Amino acid sequence: MRSETLKGHLDALILSVVSIGPLHGYAIIEQLRLRSGGAMTLPEGTVYPALHRLEAAGLLSSYWSQTAGRRRRVYELTRRGERELGTRRAEWREFAHAVEAVLSPAEPSGPTAVPA
Amino acid sequence: MTSPYQQQLGRELTAVGIRGALHRRIVAEIDDHLQCDPDALLGEPRALAQQFADVIGSARAKTAAVAAFASLVVAGVVTLVIAVATGGTLRSAQPAGGPLHGPTTLATAAATVAVIALQVALACGLLVALRWLWRRHTGVLPAAEARVIVRRAIVGVGAGITGVAAIATAAVAERHVPGAPSAGPVIGASAVAVVALLASVPSLRAATRVRPLAEGPAGDVVDDLGPLAPAALKNRPWRVALLVAMAIALLATVAGVLQADPYDGAARGIVDGLACLAGFATLGPWLGLWSRRGRELAG
Repeated sequence: MRSETLKGHLDALILSVVSIGPLHGYAIIEQLRLRSGGAMTLPEGTVYPALHRLEAAGLLSSYWSQTAGRRRRVYELTRRGERELGTRRAEWREFAHAVEAVLSPAEPSGPTAVPA
Repeated sequence: MTSPYQQQLGRELTAVGIRGALHRRIVAEIDDHLQCDPDALLGEPRALAQQFADVIGSARAKTAAVAAFASLVVAGVVTLVIAVATGGTLRSAQPAGGPLHGPTTLATAAATVAVIALQVALACGLLVALRWLWRRHTGVLPAAEARVIVRRAIVGVGAGITGVAAIATAAVAERHVPGAPSAGPVIGASAVAVVALLASVPSLRAATRVRPLAEGPAGDVVDDLGPLAPAALKNRPWRVALLVAMAIALLATVAGVLQADPYDGAARGIVDGLACLAGFATLGPWLGLWSRRGRELAG
């Protein structure tokens, strides 16, 4: 999948991935790839600034954690982030439903009246 | 041990004004990522650092806007309390006519500075708050717009400090004048206002350090009105300025009528309206109220 296609949805995708629990940057990118069946391979460089942007917007919070002797910055969803994710999901469903309705091959249903 | 990539990223982050704890955090996050995946597609260090600068610059500009507005509100309330409690320390700002001597000269000069500075602070505070209101959910602002927001915040806070200091100066200069308010409480209240204004300085400093480069226009006074701007004003910032100047002139005239001095009110209204237009013409491009490019587009 082209990264340009994903750009407009990057925030919602990150929020959705982080909603499963606190994750560090690499794990977020891995989850995006795994959950999309390998279809979403974003350039990693775009994800870290996005994480900082979402944190600045109050949708994510972050803290340092010590794992196997390594310090890692871990991100988790805030309450505001949960609400935002809910909104984004509802908007996406509506949008996807509408696009699906238009893109699906029209079923033959007899002659259609064309307005004059 | 750091890789050449991290070293270069560190230098690029410094070059765009990202330093201290945030600098260390970003380098550590990227270091962690490269340990997990040495072949990660992180892009050129300069481009990555610039992305961070755009994100952080926007966030800090918005924080500076909120901090400046909040401190200006506190200072405004304190100033209002001073004005009500003293029955108008700024009266000497009115042209009294005749020769001015000693403390009266200083008091008049200080009160004049206070009136002008507080109006500039009020205008900048309102403009910065309006722009924040419409752009608060925008993740990355154009660099030009972020700079305008920070500039307005700095000018607003600076004018606020100047205005409050001038009020205190006027009170001190008039302390021996019969009937003048006691200088002590005015100085105390002014100090509270200055402290409130100074509290916003760290946010302003942080916002000026980062150098975003995101493309896009700075916007103008019509963008400050956001969805409130009627269609007739779109791309016509000078119409907004004219309407505001007329409103100011009308308000001053009405105030004059209420004080049984309509001619003085009208004269002050005309002067204030013209001052508003002069300020718009001279400071407008710098404070993002209008731009020559915008005028060309509108034309």
